Amino acid sequence: MDPKFTEVSQTFERFKAAFVREDFDTCTRLLSQLKVLLTAFTSLPPLFQETSNAIDELTIARDIYEHAVVLSVKMEDQDAFERDFFQLKPYYTDARGRLESSPKEYSVLGLNLLRLLVQNRIAEFHTELELLSQSALDNPCIKHAVELEQSFMEGAYHRVLSARQTAPDVTYDYFMDLLAKTVRDEIAGCSEKAYDRLSTSDARQMLLFSSDKELLQYVEQEHPEWEIKGGFIIFQKVKDSVPCKEIPSLQLITQTLSYARELERIV
Amino acid sequence: MTQDVEMAEQAPPSNSVTSASPSVFHHLKEIASLIETGAYAREVRRISRAVRLTMVLRKKLKVSSLFAFLNFFLLPGSDLHSRLSSFLPKEDEHDMEVDTASSGTPTPVKHPLPEIEIYCYLLVLIFLIDQKKYNEAKACSSASIARLKTVNRRTVDVLASRLYYYYSLCYELTGDLAEIRGNLLALHRIATLRRDELGQETLLNLLLRNYLHYNLYDQAEKLRSKAPHFEAHSNQQFCRYLFYLGKIRTIQLEYTDAKESLLQAARKAPQAALGFRVQCNKWAIIVRLLLGEIPERTVFMQKGMEKALRPYFELTNAVRIGDLELFRNVADKFSSTFSSDRTNNLIVRLRHNVIRTGLRNISISYSRISLTDVAKKLRLDSPNPVADAESIVSKAIRDGAIDATLDHANGWMVSKETGDIYSTNEPQIAFNSRIAFCLNMHNEAVRALRFPPNSHKEKESAEKRRERQQQEQELAQHIAEEDDDDF
Repeated sequence: MDPKFTEVSQTFERFKAAFVREDFDTCTRLLSQLKVLLTAFTSLPPLFQETSNAIDELTIARDIYEHAVVLSVKMEDQDAFERDFFQLKPYYTDARGRLESSPKEYSVLGLNLLRLLVQNRIAEFHTELELLSQSALDNPCIKHAVELEQSFMEGAYHRVLSARQTAPDVTYDYFMDLLAKTVRDEIAGCSEKAYDRLSTSDARQMLLFSSDKELLQYVEQEHPEWEIKGGFIIFQKVKDSVPCKEIPSLQLITQTLSYARELERIV
Repeated sequence: MTQDVEMAEQAPPSNSVTSASPSVFHHLKEIASLIETGAYAREVRRISRAVRLTMVLRKKLKVSSLFAFLNFFLLPGSDLHSRLSSFLPKEDEHDMEVDTASSGTPTPVKHPLPEIEIYCYLLVLIFLIDQKKYNEAKACSSASIARLKTVNRRTVDVLASRLYYYYSLCYELTGDLAEIRGNLLALHRIATLRRDELGQETLLNLLLRNYLHYNLYDQAEKLRSKAPHFEAHSNQQFCRYLFYLGKIRTIQLEYTDAKESLLQAARKAPQAALGFRVQCNKWAIIVRLLLGEIPERTVFMQKGMEKALRPYFELTNAVRIGDLELFRNVADKFSSTFSSDRTNNLIVRLRHNVIRTGLRNISISYSRISLTDVAKKLRLDSPNPVADAESIVSKAIRDGAIDATLDHANGWMVSKETGDIYSTNEPQIAFNSRIAFCLNMHNEAVRALRFPPNSHKEKESAEKRRERQQQEQELAQHIAEEDDDDF
């Protein structure tokens, strides 16, 4: 056995042990060691050299990065998640033909989709989605994220929130919590346009606050323009601020002049 | 995806007038001499003409005439000759045409022009692809690409861009596109360094096609946005580019830009390229639906497209009515078509638009309606339809899709009176955008006009003629662009 490989697998075992103990400091330390060790393997991307134990090396590297992604979720570090995910991605795409598919693959891909959704990077969300095959789309982890995006786009926010219970994995909770915050902002934004007034108790329910105090705090911080009077939140003020219409004379003049200039050129 | 492959290969019939009587070999010889003069005079125009004439002959190519051609121009037994003839199937009988033997006497030059050499590759490659001998074609194209890398002459560029195209085509036909991606990137780099703009254009498209074949939209967009841009040399390549660009933008939700590129691609594509135009139309229809527009009926009734666009027509109908049930049925009914068109994911996105249209219809028809009824009419199947309906309506109000207010206490939606549109600036904006479109179209047309050089000069002295010819040579470069537009 290659001594480098043994070292990696031993360190990885220690990492996994720390991971189970939820000793995240040790995990991060070991992970950076592992990443440095992995650079010595030439069979990994981007080189993909056909060495004798390439398959073993690729498999363990993929396993390490999968753990790194999950670790970053547990440590609630979105930047690290993105980094680790991009390092992991070539193992799923370019090495697909050579490795057995990983049992964690769809779970990780689903997490990534959820991250993009939370960060409101919808274009990238759809780009990632295009890469998935039909069978992948039927996988519960992926399907969960896809349905979330749909409900989110439609505005069926209750469906988004109730999806937390059906999340396929505990690691999804972190992003689901973040999503709940986004949803609250969305609901608040929609409500101020859709309602003239709303009783505080209804608003509290809609915005998913457990007490009136939290609601008042939220309104004060995020929407100081809302007026609270006699148990009602009055949004009317926002609508009144729409400027009254007048003839945009300057714009009309420039447009007409440009028509004249262009016509001159034609005639 | 596969339908637009053959777009460029439709030669106009006008060129084939002369090909009635003399033999194919004879024609090939003429073409070769055209290439030779083009190469000596550095006239790219002649070379592209030669390529076009070849496309006319394409259907008539036979092993015998190819052998005759190779024997005539390449030294038999030379490296290249033996390599090329090894790709061709062996002849059963010696039915060499009579004129080969007689005209075979002028022994070919020891080192043929690189243009002729490349042309031989191209000819053999086209023949192999037409004969569906893809493995030989792959070998032949790889050999030709290796040779091309060592030739740096502007007169070769036209032939080279053709070879790149067939190189990619034969790998696509055998399903190994991913294999040549690195090679194409290297070729693109070489073309950029040599300022071969036609080559860059062709290779960029091939690369985009390559990426999109595997749905690698991210990589495609990164390459596209960083590759150098210049005025298009070939109409076909420009059309393809627009189509790929439209697809990328659709996936990345930039629908307005996507619509523009796709419609432009469909308009600019040559009439003969029906498959390509159908593809463009399919995508354009979906993008317009996603934008909340309903394409006109005439779009679906274009000549030769009715059948192909049928699923999209029914889809549009479902979106127009705003019926989720019907939409679901259509999506299921044609799901195989949609997945082969790779538009499945886009159609999933459309669900949202169906709801919007349905909601708009409701808000127009009722001045006040309870949310329970809204949920029923939209056929929302969820555990909590009223709450869903409420939030969907409130989002639609915020996005400006409908003009209404919600009353939470009573649980109903009150539509506002539709205001008089002519009291707003809306007509002015619409007027302006239409005028701007017309003026822009006119300016584009003027810019695209080209005139034959010095057509008014009838008589001139010998000295002047020499001078003129020199000028013409420079102009030929520009005309080459126009020539490309023709085929």
